[in-house]
Amino acid sequence: MVAPALRCEGITKAFQGVHAVNGAEFAVPEGQITALIGPNGAGKTTVVNILSGAMKADHGQMFLGETETTGWPSYKIARHGLLRTFQLSRELGGLTVLENLLTAAPSQAGDSLVNVLLRPGLIRRQEREHAERALHLLEVYGLYRHRDTPARELSGGQKKLLEIARAVMGSPKVLLLDEPMAGVNPALIDVLGGYILGLKEDGVTVLMIEHNLNVVERICDYVIVLAEGRTLATGRLSELRQNTEVVKAYLGEVMDVSAAN
Amino acid sequence: MSLFWLSVGFGLVTSSVLAVAAIGLSLQFGITNYVNFAYGDFMALGAFFTYVLNNEVFHINIWIALAIAALAMGGFGVLINQWLLGPFARRFQSTHYVLIVTFGLSLVMLNVIYSIWGADVRFYSLAAGSAHHVGPMLLTTNQLIVMGISVALLAALHTTLKTTRLGKSMRAMSDNTSLAMTSGIDTRRITTITWFLSGALAGVAGSVLGISEGNLTPAAGELFLFVIFAAVIMGGIGSIYGAMAGAVFIGMSTEISAAYINPAYKLDIAFVVLILTLLIRPNGLIGRPGTTEA
Amino acid sequence: MAYYIFTLVFFLFDYFILAMGLNIQYGITGILNFAYIGFVAIGAYVTGVAGLPANVPGQHYILGLGLPFPLNTLLGGLAAMALAVLVALITLRRLRTDYLAIVLISLSLVFYDFCNNYVSLFNGADGLYNVPAPYAKSLGLGVNSFIIFFACLTGVVALIMWFVMHRVLRAPLGRTLRAIRDDHVAAAALGKNTFRMQLKSMMIGSFFAGIGGGLLIQFGGSFNPTAWLPGETFVVFAVLIVGGAGNNVGMFVGALLVETLLIHLPAFLPDIPGHPGLIEYFDLALVGVVLMLMLWFRPQGIVPERLRRSASFGAPERLDEEAGRLDQTAAIAAGVGIEQADHDTGNGR
Repeated sequence: MVAPALRCEGITKAFQGVHAVNGAEFAVPEGQITALIGPNGAGKTTVVNILSGAMKADHGQMFLGETETTGWPSYKIARHGLLRTFQLSRELGGLTVLENLLTAAPSQAGDSLVNVLLRPGLIRRQEREHAERALHLLEVYGLYRHRDTPARELSGGQKKLLEIARAVMGSPKVLLLDEPMAGVNPALIDVLGGYILGLKEDGVTVLMIEHNLNVVERICDYVIVLAEGRTLATGRLSELRQNTEVVKAYLGEVMDVSAAN
Repeated sequence: MSLFWLSVGFGLVTSSVLAVAAIGLSLQFGITNYVNFAYGDFMALGAFFTYVLNNEVFHINIWIALAIAALAMGGFGVLINQWLLGPFARRFQSTHYVLIVTFGLSLVMLNVIYSIWGADVRFYSLAAGSAHHVGPMLLTTNQLIVMGISVALLAALHTTLKTTRLGKSMRAMSDNTSLAMTSGIDTRRITTITWFLSGALAGVAGSVLGISEGNLTPAAGELFLFVIFAAVIMGGIGSIYGAMAGAVFIGMSTEISAAYINPAYKLDIAFVVLILTLLIRPNGLIGRPGTTEA
Repeated sequence: MAYYIFTLVFFLFDYFILAMGLNIQYGITGILNFAYIGFVAIGAYVTGVAGLPANVPGQHYILGLGLPFPLNTLLGGLAAMALAVLVALITLRRLRTDYLAIVLISLSLVFYDFCNNYVSLFNGADGLYNVPAPYAKSLGLGVNSFIIFFACLTGVVALIMWFVMHRVLRAPLGRTLRAIRDDHVAAAALGKNTFRMQLKSMMIGSFFAGIGGGLLIQFGGSFNPTAWLPGETFVVFAVLIVGGAGNNVGMFVGALLVETLLIHLPAFLPDIPGHPGLIEYFDLALVGVVLMLMLWFRPQGIVPERLRRSASFGAPERLDEEAGRLDQTAAIAAGVGIEQADHDTGNGR
């Protein structure tokens, strides 16, 4: 049995007395695309923030593969192979699109002052390799034409693409996507879905917060349902539709709508 | 009478001056969300305005002159916000710019004051007043009046904040500006009023500083600004009551310790206290979080 | 005449160095270092006490190593760097922008008070004087020739330091610092240790401050607290902002305009009788006004930051048709994509 790519136990987080997350626990299977769904306020974004190190849980533990990452800061978790995107794109506005990707490149010898001063050849070579890879990624994600554009000048949809491309550039083992389809027009949803499936083919484990159940149905292998800060159920979407608790908490309204269509 | 009680007396006076100043700064910060680095110069300008009324051009009673100067500085605060700081704050998302502008304003104001009055030390014209025994302490009439003004202003402010509609609106804006806006609070008006209060309090603080120190210099306000920062950060920036508590703490600790250590380091004692506080509790003792976002 | 011009030249090069230092801290990394002048001062003081012999009568100070140029100056740079580490450890980890600015400027004042009052450190309010002029004896330079010589020497130092800074800014290090400036949360999410990087930025910038300070004390032969009230940091900010934050050419232009023209040129004007110091006061107020005007009308400065083109990385470019085919997605995204509201990028509050 392969260890889950990402696992958490008993995660609790309260904000000024209000529990956003109250004992969430789940395991994300390796190499698959998992959806994290649940009604608004279920604590999904908070859990993702905790898993990526952006916030610290009050209680609980989490593991990236075999390694315990409880309490680690976000940069450390990122260096260990877990990258995330943000629901509201956080592009590095003053940098070009290409530079955004280059920033994400793992193993940057050029961040060290000693290397900058003493090993310029090494850095030049690394930069060239990273740039080649980045330019290829930009092509795949359709942003090549904008490679030299300052990221703040991109449109909303382009920023979303950049957000994902940048994370992919970081060669993650696990990728957390926070509502990648939020606010995105239908044509682009298909394209993004294609990219995410492509990531699975490359061996990346994906966990995505998603409200759009059509997307979840089409591309996700596994679903985790969160409600009121704790795990309600896990499994395949088709199974969950039979689960009365899940339907009551979340799928109920949505099922009615889709039945009507 | 003992050195200790003498310094406690000084401490009370300093705390009074500091409290008025710190609240003026805190009020404005709470509403606008940026620190006015020129606040010390507002104080200095207020002090010199009082000087003009009291001892240079006119010869009005010091306390009346002080009141007039305070009103004038209130108006000045409103104008500065209207024509300079407000526009900058609205234009740029990052607060860096407006902070640099307040720093620049400080430079301009200080040098304008120097240009007009030069670097010489000036004095107010006021009766020396007799010393009174208050418990184990010895305080002059003027010191007592200064403390009285401070207490009166603090009480008035407290009442306004807690009971009036204006006060409630100010507290709402201080907590969450965008929410306040959507709740129908006229944020522009509140901002104007807050700047008026901040300027007026700065004017009062600068003048009473000159009275309690016994002289005025153009740079006195800027130097005092650091002590104000210490009080405000200790109390938690943006919290009025925190500012008051910080003022008492800093005022007392600096005066009492300065009685026993070299008084030239008075300001620096405030800083050591401040740095220690920040290391232990970056949010200050009371007040709002000052830490970097996650 | 030559003395007059070369004094201006000296300040041009020296403030160019100072501006480059503040630039990496503020322009590139976004750290609002309102204490910058304190680092310049410690560089000046340590250079002075490293260069002065062990015991000059009439002055009290620590060290007194009698070291020649450039050793004394390097020591000044290192001292500033050490101070930066200390300050960064206390402040950077925890404080947001305005708190940081307040604490930094306050620390600057504390340091100022300390130097002013604690006489055994750097001779208190009198400051250090009779600091040996580098190579003046060995080359037999009189006062005027020394000015010309030292201005040129400073130019050489500035050139070397420019070269180093250029390398740093062009390297991934520079880009990572700008990423942190733009959005430190995103940068951390990409694996960047933001505290460590900010620390590096502070250290490099302070080294430049220290060197600049060391050159100042050796040019004038003396350095005392009146030379560095905390407000003096503002002049360096003015150089940065007028010239153009974020790039070295801007630093040179800024140094030329602000430091040389605005500050030092008027110093040669005769005093107005009856109003001592009026020109200086007016001048400083003018710098403040110029800066505010610049921030309003052209916040990017005279020389805006230029971004690096992809071609400069040396990777083979794609043929546009090939790229064009795949760019349909971009077209969809650009044309039909829903615009997302701007959000706070994490700068400031």
